[in-house]
Amino acid sequence: MSEKVIKTTDDLDPSMFEFQRADDSASEHIAAPKYSYWGSVFRRFFSNKIAILMLIVAVTVVLFAFIQPMISGYDHMKTPNINNKSMHYIRPFKSFKYIFGTDDKGNSLFDALWSGARNSLFIAIAATFITESIGIIVGMFWGFSKKMDVVMIEIYNVLSNIPTMLIAMILVYALGAGFGQLIFALSVTSWISTAYFIRVQVMIIRDREYNLASQCLGTPTYKIILNNILPYLISIIITSVSRDVPAFISYEVALSFMGVGLGQQHASLGRMVQNYAPYMTSAPYLFWIPVITTAVISVSLYIVGQALADASDPRTHMI
Amino acid sequence: MRKYILKRILRSIISVFIVVSIVIAMIFTLIPRTKVLDLDTSYRKMTGDNKTAYRFTTFEKLGYLDFVRISDICAESENPSACSVNKSAEQQAMLEKYENDGYTVEYFRNGTPYAYHDYTVFELALNFWKNLVKFDSVNFVEKTYGVTDLEKKYYIGKDENNFPAIMCSGCEYKYQVYFGHGFPFVHQNMVKLYFGISFPTKSGMHTLDVINEEQGSQKAILQTFPTGVELESPLNQMTAKYKPNVDHLDQTRFTDNYADCKSYYESPSMVETSYIFGIISLVIAYAIGLPAGMGMARNKDGIWDKLGVAIINFLIALPSLALIFFVRQIGSMVFQLPDKFPLLGFGNIKSYIAPILILSLLSLPGLMTWTRRYMIDQSNSDYVKFAKAKGLSQREIFTKHILKNAVIPIVNGIPASIILCISGALITESAFAIPGMGKMLPDAINKMNNNMVITLTFIFAALSIFSVLLGDLLMTLVDPRIQLAEKKRGSE
Repeated sequence: MSEKVIKTTDDLDPSMFEFQRADDSASEHIAAPKYSYWGSVFRRFFSNKIAILMLIVAVTVVLFAFIQPMISGYDHMKTPNINNKSMHYIRPFKSFKYIFGTDDKGNSLFDALWSGARNSLFIAIAATFITESIGIIVGMFWGFSKKMDVVMIEIYNVLSNIPTMLIAMILVYALGAGFGQLIFALSVTSWISTAYFIRVQVMIIRDREYNLASQCLGTPTYKIILNNILPYLISIIITSVSRDVPAFISYEVALSFMGVGLGQQHASLGRMVQNYAPYMTSAPYLFWIPVITTAVISVSLYIVGQALADASDPRTHMI
Repeated sequence: MRKYILKRILRSIISVFIVVSIVIAMIFTLIPRTKVLDLDTSYRKMTGDNKTAYRFTTFEKLGYLDFVRISDICAESENPSACSVNKSAEQQAMLEKYENDGYTVEYFRNGTPYAYHDYTVFELALNFWKNLVKFDSVNFVEKTYGVTDLEKKYYIGKDENNFPAIMCSGCEYKYQVYFGHGFPFVHQNMVKLYFGISFPTKSGMHTLDVINEEQGSQKAILQTFPTGVELESPLNQMTAKYKPNVDHLDQTRFTDNYADCKSYYESPSMVETSYIFGIISLVIAYAIGLPAGMGMARNKDGIWDKLGVAIINFLIALPSLALIFFVRQIGSMVFQLPDKFPLLGFGNIKSYIAPILILSLLSLPGLMTWTRRYMIDQSNSDYVKFAKAKGLSQREIFTKHILKNAVIPIVNGIPASIILCISGALITESAFAIPGMGKMLPDAINKMNNNMVITLTFIFAALSIFSVLLGDLLMTLVDPRIQLAEKKRGSE
């Protein structure tokens, strides 16, 4: 309630007003709240508390895996304490220097663990990168070209029915153990299932009205793929990546555990599990710390990926 | 439809052919062959010419090359005695002939020449496919041993359980088709697959026999032999093979020359072992996974659904090796289950619990997610809305309409899961040291047992490819609307 009651327009003080220019173009704009795709993705992602927790875990683990080995300079093949019996089997958390204890050769388990984790992560990330990039590129064109479809479907039928584990084992066996060979063996056939997955999605979106319109207007195929279809697939691609990384870590660990993964000269989580398996009862920490680390890396990366995939689906961005 | 099936079978065969040929080419060319001998203890102890000869005979056995000794070279010559004298003109001429045929001639330290021919990739693959299938025929004995007085005929006899069996005189095997003990219960000896010889593990045995034959110590069974003698003997009469020279012991038991028998053993074969584990775990996985998936779909976004999704995600993300060791450790610490299979062996039920539990847990998340997914997809479709509008109860809609439609894609996967049980779970069997097929592959790779690796690749690839075909066919049985033949293309 104001004290002064305004009765007519004459009572208004002109100094309260200011002049505005009439803008004709403003009426043409459609009023809509401001929307930014990536802004919404991050808002959505950070509203998920478990995802944030897992992101912190995943980032910590990944940073540790890539930075710690540089500082420690750990070399899997060097065993300076091998003849010093007092340095063997130091239990974890007994000394600050060997926080996870030492193994049967007197090496620090902490250093070995991160160096192994780095190699395993590197293999998983490299294999995922290769699989996804080849898969996406091939899948895009595969979904578009009917001629290519005829050939690719046959290749897919041959390759997809054979277990990946079998192919990887045979390839590592034939090519020899090593980084390049393992990455090759893991990605040489797995790209085709990614490509197939993308193909189906492309085929669904391909014939929608806006793409037909675009084609009528003479947009080249690569532009339709890049601008019209690819953005649609972001959430699908992230889902697929979030499944691939843990799967490849799991493959690497399993293959190395069975003795057909990386060679003895490289540290890796799988190798560690294999090497320390005999100490399961006498020095259980040697065995369980690598196994638990593997589980933590896989689970955190998977959950972060799933949350990100959910968040990147525009349909969840409703306000 | 029949045309389509034939086409699919042909395609599947071609797929297997391509995959196995590539594997043969890779294994025989990329792996240094000397590595095969590195693990052979008897080779390491040898010296001089013996070592060279052993090397070449081993390579020949494994299919790498064709090795010819001087005696074989000279057998083709017109004057064998002159040829066998080192450095004679006769010998030189023969060696030259071999060199022209693509053989390499080298000399032992004592001056005796020998020739060998390395197979090219194509010859290797060709040899493999050429020798793969072996048919037993009535003329086998006559052709192989030159025995002419043996009667050549097929006839119906009786097997060990007094069931009728097709038997043969003149063939390599006496019993051609019979019902018998052990998986897969109907046995045949007419067509045999030959994949080469296992080396250096189980050296000299056919690779297929290694995985097919029973394991453990011999088991004597009270049985009556053709002569009427009743004995406790481990011999399996159903596997009787022709033996050119029968000794006195054989004569007391057998009335004819079919006396070369395999034995009964205490424990099931590798294939059977993998199968026992696979089938039981599969039944458990389906028994839990299907109802759980359905329940989750029915109460979508409820507390159980959310919990279920969380468990599924955790199981998918957890590396299988970690899961295997967690369950194994809990089993051995809390329930005193053995952490290695051979500790208690085949006879004790305790050895089966942990591996079966793990195998079920490994296949559970996939099964649950797909069941849930299909059910939810179906419940959003128009016919469900229509049913709701007509006033059907939630329960009726679920059991009578949604379930029937959702089960179709699940049925598609069943043959694959059943058949692939044979291939065994690679990691689980390795972790528990279960003597099954799954453990055999990494073992063969680590021991450089090339023929075994190829055999297992062939079996795994063929099984996976044909099980997909079987799944498709089963799907058409469950849902008559689905047509696999080309007609479908037009409606797309």
